[in-house]
Amino acid sequence: MGDKLDTPAIFWGVILWMVAWGVLGSIALRRRYFARDLDTSNASFVGALSGAALGPVGVGLLWARTPALTGRFVAVFGVIAVVLIAAAFAFADPDNNCVANGSFVASQITNGLIIGIIYGFMALGLTLIFSILGVVSFAHGEFYMIGGMLVYYITAVWFPGISPLAGVLGACFVAFCLGAVFERLMLTPMYSGKIDRPVEYGILATFGLAFTLQYFVQAVHGASPVKASRFVDFPRIRWPEDADPLWIKTSRGNLTLFETVSISNPRFIAAITCILVLLALLYLLHRTWTGKALRAVSQDRDAAAIAGIDPNRMNMLAFALGGMIAALAGALLVQAFSWLPQVGAIPAMRSFVIVVLGGLGSLPGAFLGGILVGFVEAAGTGCIPDAQKAASYIPAYGMIVLTLTLLLRPTGLFGRRYASGMHGQGG
Amino acid sequence: MNTRVSRRILLATAGTLAMTAGAALAQDCPIRIGALAPLSAPGTVVGGEAMRDAMMIAEADINAAGGILGCEMELVIGDSEGLPERATAVMERLITQDGVVAVGGGYHSSVGVASKDVADARGIPVVFAETWNDTITGDKQKYIFRIAPLSSWTSNIIWEFALTVPGIDKAVILTENTDYGIPASQETQKGLEAGGVASTIFSVDIGTQDYAGIVERIKAEDPDMIITLVTGEAAFNFTQQAADAGIGPLDVPFITGQDALESGTYWTNVPDGQYAFIQRIGVPESQFTEKGKAFAAVYKEKTGKSDVESYAMEAYDSIAILAQAIEEAGSTDGDAIVTALENISHEGTLGRIYFDYGLKKDPSADGKGDEWWHQWPDPAITMIQYQEEGQASTDAAIVFPEAYKTADPVWVTE
Repeated sequence: MGDKLDTPAIFWGVILWMVAWGVLGSIALRRRYFARDLDTSNASFVGALSGAALGPVGVGLLWARTPALTGRFVAVFGVIAVVLIAAAFAFADPDNNCVANGSFVASQITNGLIIGIIYGFMALGLTLIFSILGVVSFAHGEFYMIGGMLVYYITAVWFPGISPLAGVLGACFVAFCLGAVFERLMLTPMYSGKIDRPVEYGILATFGLAFTLQYFVQAVHGASPVKASRFVDFPRIRWPEDADPLWIKTSRGNLTLFETVSISNPRFIAAITCILVLLALLYLLHRTWTGKALRAVSQDRDAAAIAGIDPNRMNMLAFALGGMIAALAGALLVQAFSWLPQVGAIPAMRSFVIVVLGGLGSLPGAFLGGILVGFVEAAGTGCIPDAQKAASYIPAYGMIVLTLTLLLRPTGLFGRRYASGMHGQGG
Repeated sequence: MNTRVSRRILLATAGTLAMTAGAALAQDCPIRIGALAPLSAPGTVVGGEAMRDAMMIAEADINAAGGILGCEMELVIGDSEGLPERATAVMERLITQDGVVAVGGGYHSSVGVASKDVADARGIPVVFAETWNDTITGDKQKYIFRIAPLSSWTSNIIWEFALTVPGIDKAVILTENTDYGIPASQETQKGLEAGGVASTIFSVDIGTQDYAGIVERIKAEDPDMIITLVTGEAAFNFTQQAADAGIGPLDVPFITGQDALESGTYWTNVPDGQYAFIQRIGVPESQFTEKGKAFAAVYKEKTGKSDVESYAMEAYDSIAILAQAIEEAGSTDGDAIVTALENISHEGTLGRIYFDYGLKKDPSADGKGDEWWHQWPDPAITMIQYQEEGQASTDAAIVFPEAYKTADPVWVTE
């Protein structure tokens, strides 16, 4: 495997073709739908995808028939476009690990999925806060940081030998309380109408919280990296015993599937916990009165207030829950990564990207956006032929997807045109 | 007789006091010396804190010995955060606002490369402690000195050691995208190539946390050795994640980052880090000078650490040598300090420190490259190995080069 594509002309030729027809499709279909007085909200996005996926055929079909541009079109054209790029890449660089090495591809997909689930989970907290309060919490990374720090201190310093579950629950409890208290003390002026620019006030207040938390931890703990021990060891499994290769093989710190895909214990535990908590969160939001009240406030605060829901209490709950979700992500990852007071900066930035990519205020958008970013990062890191550049560009991969998406669909993948939230409208 | 002797002593004492007072009056007391260290991420905070502690010990020792030119010495610490843009701002602040007369310390090469121009333009002497990039001295600037080894020297030791790995055909180098990592990786690759060993360089941003994707790529390369040219917790993250994936120090010969010398932090962050190799600057503790031993005792007591990192000793020496140079110059004038430094013979914790080349003699006069300018030529560079779990770095086996060797390396593949 070399540092460059074997036949770059094939790959870049296909990309150029896709971009050219994508741009054409985007402009042409928007005009066509506008001229026919049809809904144009998705026209640019689907037009670009149809041009990229099927070239003149895709654009021509939509131009001629002007169907309602539902999510189905996005999904189908999106998948075809990805397959086309993958095929062009395979022809251009047949010796690349991403083409020739099946086990490598499986490992990268698994890595992308697992880290994507964790990214998405963290972004979920941010979008929950935004959808209810209308404020982007700039302290999200610091909640993530204190989650990990608290688990380390609870399990290794204050109560050595205590169950890691107690550490995680303790971290969640502290983060929840901190979020609730901060919201009550610092964000309530947003609701009273006493402040001219409540949204900006909210952003600055959370900025302040971020700095306070970060430097407080640095002052108390210092800046040396720490790490929690593995929460649990995998039992030794060889299953099925007579199979070759074994479907599942475990050691204390590792899980291997089909003797091909290897997943480290801390990541596996983190991803599974994130999925379980996500399910619990969905249950809370969709099956309980409190969850329905939260969703009602995110959709229409005034109507929710008339129905007897106290929007201010929901604000507090949303901020506390959002902070707790970030802290839980940190609490789970402190066994995988070295932890510093500044550790939240990159995950927070990535969460902002994911939230905007998925659509501001959209919970499914945040989660799927996280998985998408996880996959894109894994593909970029794994497939870019030049080893020197593959990992250097990790932060850029998500930004490229975000830029392309916003260019074609400013509301993000699942965004509502009018995201709700507090926005200082009183409570 | 007694009266005559007493009178002489009195006169001598009065004279000394008058001279000291005169010198002190000529200076603005206290004399401030700047101290660069990365104390916040993305800089290598473990290294920065060690250097800060060491430089504060130097400050205490200097003041306990009477200060400089009769004045108390005050250390002004600047947090470089490991960022070049921050480093230039900190250097500017130290000189223009804090009024430092010289600067010591410095950990990241990119910090040295960026900040040296500021100091040189303002005529403030700097003795860099742990910045390896060759150009720091290679630019032949009047006010810039260094007691750390050159990047090319440290790379030589790494690739020479790598060539001793039994059956090595292919190595992987993980480097950070910095003024330290990029040239060091290129020099290492060149040396390996000359020895018939192929290598692939993977580069990452400073402070990278998640290596899952890159670890899979490295695994696919099936290397016979992994060389890490990454600083700080990023190296801890990479080493442990590689270990989780089955290509860690327990699985292949593995050189980890230099911050593993702080063994307490290393074992907390890399529990599966046994058999890792680490590059260490300076001789083993058994061969420390008297000053080195005294410093080690105070440093361990102050920090509670079980060992002394080489960059802590370099940081101590960078401040102590400046204090001696100012004393010998008899003034805080930058040019006078440079002259004193060029002619200095300083008994430091690392050994006798001196500078062969500079304004007094150009390196080219002896056929040396520009990087020898204001460069201490004698830093010892060794490779150590943690052969036991939880071992302190000062107890670790020195496995290379032969001159310092205390044990044979353990090759995990054999």
